[in-house]
Amino acid sequence: MATLLGADITPEEKQQLAPVGYSIEGEHSATCVLVDQDVRHIAVNDPDVEILPLKDALTRYDWVQDLMFKLINPTENDHVAQAAESRHAPVGHFIRVRKGAKVRLPVQVFTLLETPQGRQFHHNITVIEEGAEVEMISGSAVPPSVHAGHHLSISETYLREGATCRSVSIEHWGPAMEVHSYARTHVGTNARVIESNIQVSPVKHHYSQSRTVIEDGGVSNDQSVIFAPAGTGRVMESEIHLKGVNARSESIARMVTGGGTITNRTTLVGEGRDTKGFLGCNGLKLSDEGEILSVPALRARSAQAQLSHEASIGMIDQAKLSYLMASGMSEDAARDLIVQGFLNLDAQQLPEAIRVEVSRTIAAANSGAL
Amino acid sequence: MTTPLLDIRDLHVEADGSPVIHGVNLSIPIGETHVLFGPNGSGKSSLLATIMGLAPYRVTSGEIWFKGQRIDALPVDKRAQMGLGMSFQRPPALEGVTVEAFTAAIGSSALLESEASALDFNGFAERDVNAGFSGGEIKRWEILKLLLKRPDLSLFDEPESGVDLEHIAAVGKAIDRLLGADTPADPQRTALVITHTGFILDYIHADVGHLMVDGRIVGSADPRTLFSHIKAHGYSMPPVTANVSQTI
Repeated sequence: MATLLGADITPEEKQQLAPVGYSIEGEHSATCVLVDQDVRHIAVNDPDVEILPLKDALTRYDWVQDLMFKLINPTENDHVAQAAESRHAPVGHFIRVRKGAKVRLPVQVFTLLETPQGRQFHHNITVIEEGAEVEMISGSAVPPSVHAGHHLSISETYLREGATCRSVSIEHWGPAMEVHSYARTHVGTNARVIESNIQVSPVKHHYSQSRTVIEDGGVSNDQSVIFAPAGTGRVMESEIHLKGVNARSESIARMVTGGGTITNRTTLVGEGRDTKGFLGCNGLKLSDEGEILSVPALRARSAQAQLSHEASIGMIDQAKLSYLMASGMSEDAARDLIVQGFLNLDAQQLPEAIRVEVSRTIAAANSGAL
Repeated sequence: MTTPLLDIRDLHVEADGSPVIHGVNLSIPIGETHVLFGPNGSGKSSLLATIMGLAPYRVTSGEIWFKGQRIDALPVDKRAQMGLGMSFQRPPALEGVTVEAFTAAIGSSALLESEASALDFNGFAERDVNAGFSGGEIKRWEILKLLLKRPDLSLFDEPESGVDLEHIAAVGKAIDRLLGADTPADPQRTALVITHTGFILDYIHADVGHLMVDGRIVGSADPRTLFSHIKAHGYSMPPVTANVSQTI
């Protein structure tokens, strides 16, 4: 194993990251861990994968500077402007998967906020080069002692022509934290991105904004599993632009409130000829507390764009609950099973450890333990 | 005199404010299989759902006793945990809840493969429970579900309806196996079965038949005799056994 930066993370840190996907580094093509405002640890086992702190990548490759703030407008809002105008070197990772590489083992990338009331400000750039294929697991976590703080991230991801990226992202922040994330993805010609996003842990306020642009023949499939226990507020705003000819997209959000609030505004824009896209937004309300606002929107700019959406919000069906309880399950166990079924965790192709953790989190929230 | 496993005393039930059961008395001793006959709307399914504790049925008067304990105020999960189980006529589809996950949740994963084989239900572990199942598949799953729990008293609401001829024998044999003893020391299980077609009578040993009309049990008799009479004359009691006391 080629450890490129820093010492190994501590056993405690590994333990904190395990619920969000960290596992044995030897079983991954590369591992990168950002702790507070440092790129603490990079280990690479595959020569087709390169990971550098972004500030180092900017000096090593002159083309990296042209990727920074290319997908996001530096004046987008105060948060982004603050990053763009900062006089400090950027903190974040640069990941590159080389042209044509079929990376056998997943890349794992994590963010850890260890300082109570800490401030994290990360800018990450990922480039999957032409024809490359990679699987990525990313997770964000805090130790149990950290409740409050602020995490802000900007990510710009480029999938070059014919590239494929499958990714799973899991977040587990502190219950009194504020999180703002801005993600931009460019899906090149005939490239393909398949994403699962899991946000189930309590957090005071999480604002996530994403924009995906899909070129000719490109495909984007994403599934989000969103849970808001009491005291949690999540706001998601996303745009998917079917820019190129024959661009395709399917975006599915499954949202459950156990007393928290969820706002999901997704806009699908059909710009290119023969584009096709679908938005699915399904919500489940477990009690009278909290709120779900689901706003799927379609915008057709091409006469040959086929766009559709489906949205629903409901409560747990009493007949389903009784059916499960008639086999001896307690009401809590029956509710957990229905919620997990609704969230369709089996379809997310999650690592087993993550699936168990997500189930545990939802069960704990249902029983009022959170 | 031994205490019956199930003892229903002058039971009156309403659903959404409307009376549906009017003074039913029914006792089922351990190890016996009783069959309920009756026209549509006579209250058979309402009676089973009431025994199980399902909404929207509400006991307005009378009592239900199971294993010597009054259960009519207990929630459905407590009744199931005491040993009651039910094969639903029209169970809900559980999108996202796989057969495998359901089985794990009731602690019966080790039994799934072997029990599924007997019902030609292999390959369903990854399927969502009752979602996209055909009518026959639903019924086979409902029987399989009971085989995974082995309740002391099984309530079957039309277990054979919708099952194709190819599988009806498998369903019948599975029910017969479910009601049999696992070991010589294991007492035979008990059942209350609703049937319209009577096919199930070819596969199980039924002890008593009851005729239910307008929310009342109007008579009881040998189940095959009663079914033959119903086929020939409609929903009435055979002359010899007509007006038999509602209490067995």
